[in-house]
Amino acid sequence: MCPRFAPDETSGMSTADDAANPPPALELDRLGKTFRDTPAVDGVSLSVPRGSLTGLVGPNGAGKTTSLSMAVGLLRPDSGTARVQGVDLWTDPIGAKRLLGVLPDGLSLPERLTGGELLDHWGRLRGLGREVTRERAAELLRVLELDGPDADGVLVAEYSTGMRKKIGLATALLHAPSVLVLDEPYEAVDPVSARVLTTLLRRFTDGGGAVVVSSHVMALVEQLADRVAIISGGRVLADGTLDEVRGDDPALEDTFVRLVGAREIGEGELSWLGN
Amino acid sequence: MVGELIRLKLTLQRHARSGTSAVAMALIVGGTLLTWYFMIAAPDPAVRAQLWSLATAVWAAGWIMGPTLANGVGALRPQYFALMPLERRRVGAGLLVTAFVGVGPVLTLVAVASLGLHAWRTDPATLPVALAGAAVLWVLLLSLSRLVFRALGAAMRTRFGMELASVQWGLFMAVLFFGWMAVQPAISAMASLPRTGLGAGPVPDVLAALPTGWPARAVGAAAAGAWGPALAWLTALVAVTAAVALAAAVLSAPSTAPRNMRRRARPAGSRVLDPGRRSLLPDTPLGAVVGKELRQWWRDPWRGLEVRAAMWAALFMGLLAWSVEPYAFLAPFTGLMMAMVMTLATANLYAMDGTALWMAVVGQEPGTARADVRGRQVAVLALMVPVASVLSALFVVGTGEHWAWPAVITGMVTLFGVGSGLSILLSVVMLTPGVDPHLRVDANDSGDNQLQVWTALLGTPLLSAPAIGATVWLYLAGAPWWSVPVGLVNGLVVAWGLGRLAHRRLDSRWAETFTHMRHGREAALQALPERGSWLDSLQRGALNTNEETRPKGT
Repeated sequence: MCPRFAPDETSGMSTADDAANPPPALELDRLGKTFRDTPAVDGVSLSVPRGSLTGLVGPNGAGKTTSLSMAVGLLRPDSGTARVQGVDLWTDPIGAKRLLGVLPDGLSLPERLTGGELLDHWGRLRGLGREVTRERAAELLRVLELDGPDADGVLVAEYSTGMRKKIGLATALLHAPSVLVLDEPYEAVDPVSARVLTTLLRRFTDGGGAVVVSSHVMALVEQLADRVAIISGGRVLADGTLDEVRGDDPALEDTFVRLVGAREIGEGELSWLGN
Repeated sequence: MVGELIRLKLTLQRHARSGTSAVAMALIVGGTLLTWYFMIAAPDPAVRAQLWSLATAVWAAGWIMGPTLANGVGALRPQYFALMPLERRRVGAGLLVTAFVGVGPVLTLVAVASLGLHAWRTDPATLPVALAGAAVLWVLLLSLSRLVFRALGAAMRTRFGMELASVQWGLFMAVLFFGWMAVQPAISAMASLPRTGLGAGPVPDVLAALPTGWPARAVGAAAAGAWGPALAWLTALVAVTAAVALAAAVLSAPSTAPRNMRRRARPAGSRVLDPGRRSLLPDTPLGAVVGKELRQWWRDPWRGLEVRAAMWAALFMGLLAWSVEPYAFLAPFTGLMMAMVMTLATANLYAMDGTALWMAVVGQEPGTARADVRGRQVAVLALMVPVASVLSALFVVGTGEHWAWPAVITGMVTLFGVGSGLSILLSVVMLTPGVDPHLRVDANDSGDNQLQVWTALLGTPLLSAPAIGATVWLYLAGAPWWSVPVGLVNGLVVAWGLGRLAHRRLDSRWAETFTHMRHGREAALQALPERGSWLDSLQRGALNTNEETRPKGT
């Protein structure tokens, strides 16, 4: 029942030279950003191969969202750059953004539109044309189980958190991008929709697309991703395939705790809780 | 609990850049001094009572309007306390009490306490009546202010409430505008005011009939020995105050009702995905933006309030001008008033969408910025111009002032064009983010726009000068109709030119504009070149002047 959202080959930038050694789907090249003299991101480099699903994990305030914002054009880096299939996002933003599908976390949408209107607006703003937009939008709403609310005329402002995620995801997919950058896509999404989402992302990578997913949930990343990057304090602490990063640790969570450091709760602390 | 709430309010205000803006503070201090000056300078008790009633009526208008226009009133949001194990009514009452804390409320108390001087000079025995009346009136003014502020937020949950609020707001703006015209002859003779008072006519009677005039009436009755009526005026004032305070406390309680407008049917125009359905708008990015904006203006209660209140204000101003003899010639120009209100109401348009700007940033194509800016201009004009045209035509025909046709048409094309260009440029350059739209509950949540408003008030006549000059000259020269093409060119050039500046700036600063919206002024200042263009200077001015309201949580 899932539609094919394989990458749009026509929008690729590959040339004969690239064919032998194609550039990575997404490349973060020594990205740096400082807010009020505090470095939020400090030289983050990351390479996301085509056909892979990369999990980006890190504690709260590690710089995940800031790095991803700089990778998709929402925040101008102080240093470094990002490339999408070799196209520099900060020197050729339009070329790079055409290849990208983006789901940011916790931002507003045009709140007073229905889901269908939002996709219709988005498709036409991106120049997809009415008919293509209509077909894809209807299919996406059906697959993500937003067709019911749309038939009832529910506005985005009235959506639940999970529904907001799903309509955001639909906007990320509508123009059939080659690279998906998704900030916390599974947050607040119900288990049934989560399965649909996983199937959809698998199909996307099987077709040659690349996905970057940020998450706090280790088990999810372990089950979903074939590559993982651990980021903390604005730096990449580990990066590679799941097995490479995990090494001898029994689970990714152990690797994460080992690298990031854990605060154990002492015997006497918080003893008043539950009494 | 009240002590805790007051401490919390003071802490929040300490972390904000400033509590009350300099303009508001100047008005409050000036108003206090003026109120006392009247009581000191006027020798006649009747004149003093009149002037005190005038002053308190103005104080009431200020307290009704101020909080919805200024920032920072919603510092303590009722929703913060929704999950506390406290009775909602008690939280509401506690929050109402915090409204009495601050420099503005204290100076207001000082101002209304001037009634004591009036009483002392009239008959020292009436002093207790005056002080009691002033204290109760103080409670009334601040409760009324909070009631209007919260009631507006509550009204926005239903379509009917929004319409009703629009009518009242429009009427209030029109009455304020013409209210000063009614008292303006007296005010212009400010020096002689303490001697002569407001003179004969309906104004003193109206002022004395308002609850803001009752304490002075109580003092007057007591001075005449009629202690019964004096007590009756005070009792009536207490009753009104209690009712208003109770309503304000109830509305200040954390609401558990859904924040969104209730809706019975599918919104009009929402079947966009039905196969074979035709759209009136072109299948282009521009068409997409116009469609989105028209729907948002129509469905978002806060945006709806701006549009509707502008229309009602224009209608009521026209009707009032028509009914007040020396001003009837102004009635045909009501459409121009609407253009002006449109300019002010949309001068911070991008902040209304908040971080939803991310869509345009990540979807950037060669013409996205142009489509976004032009689409917004077209949508606002498409909503306003037809109504303004109908209103203007009705008032010209109704008043029979047919000489005004060329001036009205010239004024409309000029002001709508100039307003459209100016407001979109200010929206981009002087963007001041507010609360993100999906978290918005109060009237001033959509971002401070004081500098935009002042710039627009100064810029509009300046940019309309060619058309204004040509109209005056051509009327004198006996060829008034030739002013219409001048106005058309004037309006089009400004709408096009400033719109072009706006979309070129947006196109070169997508990431910076979004960062400003998301991370606030510190990040925006960091991204602004040290010695930039004049647009950079305008932006820096807005960043340093406008206040930032960024409360989180629902």
